Amino acid sequence: MAPSIRLSVPGTLRYRPIAVRVVAEAARLVSSSANTKDPDDTLAHDVRDPFDTAVVSAFMEIFNNVAIHAYERRDGGSIDLVITPTERELIIELKDHGHPFDIEGVAPLPAELDENSLPEGGMGIHIAKTMLDEMTYEPGPPNLWRLCKRLPSHHTRGTRS
Amino acid sequence: MAQPYDVQSTGPETRIAIRGSLDINSAPGLAEEIDRIVAKRPEKVLVDLSSLDLIDSSGVAALVKLYKNVRAAGGSVTISGARDQPLAIFKLLRMDKVFNL
Repeated sequence: MAPSIRLSVPGTLRYRPIAVRVVAEAARLVSSSANTKDPDDTLAHDVRDPFDTAVVSAFMEIFNNVAIHAYERRDGGSIDLVITPTERELIIELKDHGHPFDIEGVAPLPAELDENSLPEGGMGIHIAKTMLDEMTYEPGPPNLWRLCKRLPSHHTRGTRS
Repeated sequence: MAQPYDVQSTGPETRIAIRGSLDINSAPGLAEEIDRIVAKRPEKVLVDLSSLDLIDSSGVAALVKLYKNVRAAGGSVTISGARDQPLAIFKLLRMDKVFNL
């Protein structure tokens, strides 16, 4: 079994950047994007690799969802993360003890998008689901999100310079 | 915490440069700034995203609000410079076509 990274953060948006950084670095372990970066590149910690982009984008949305919906932006709860990087995929589990989320009630984005139908909300779950290969949610408590992103089959792992 | 945007107004034109991360923690501040910008009824708003590294759905919502409200007040909005993760998000949401990114 692949070793996992375990992290528990307070379930408020104040602690979101910490969790995002950890997840971004875990994504880089899988995509090996950190190994291919120019050490003089001042933007080396940007999220540029498509795999890293997908993982970080999805995770940010689910963290937002938990802090806002499960914990209603209040202090007191925690988000327990189990992050498992393997050779070909990254699995992230987020567990919270807040209110369950009605994922079935999430409206789809408009089929045709134009200047008049641009949405101003309801995009987070759509972003997460589309960016990932698998996303499941088990309402609790505890509520459990499970996110999975796999490397594409043609992906070449970077070499350490 | 410093806001991740700079606003410069010159006559009828307003330029907004957004940098770093536009997300659920920083977007509310931009939304307030947008209200102030729209109240001045600018003819042209230029949004520079070339220094924007990360965006989430809250950040997208703030930009959509800017786009809609400025146009509703008779102005135009030009968004440029999106790259990497922000560009991927706009493409996923099919907003790249609407915004001409």
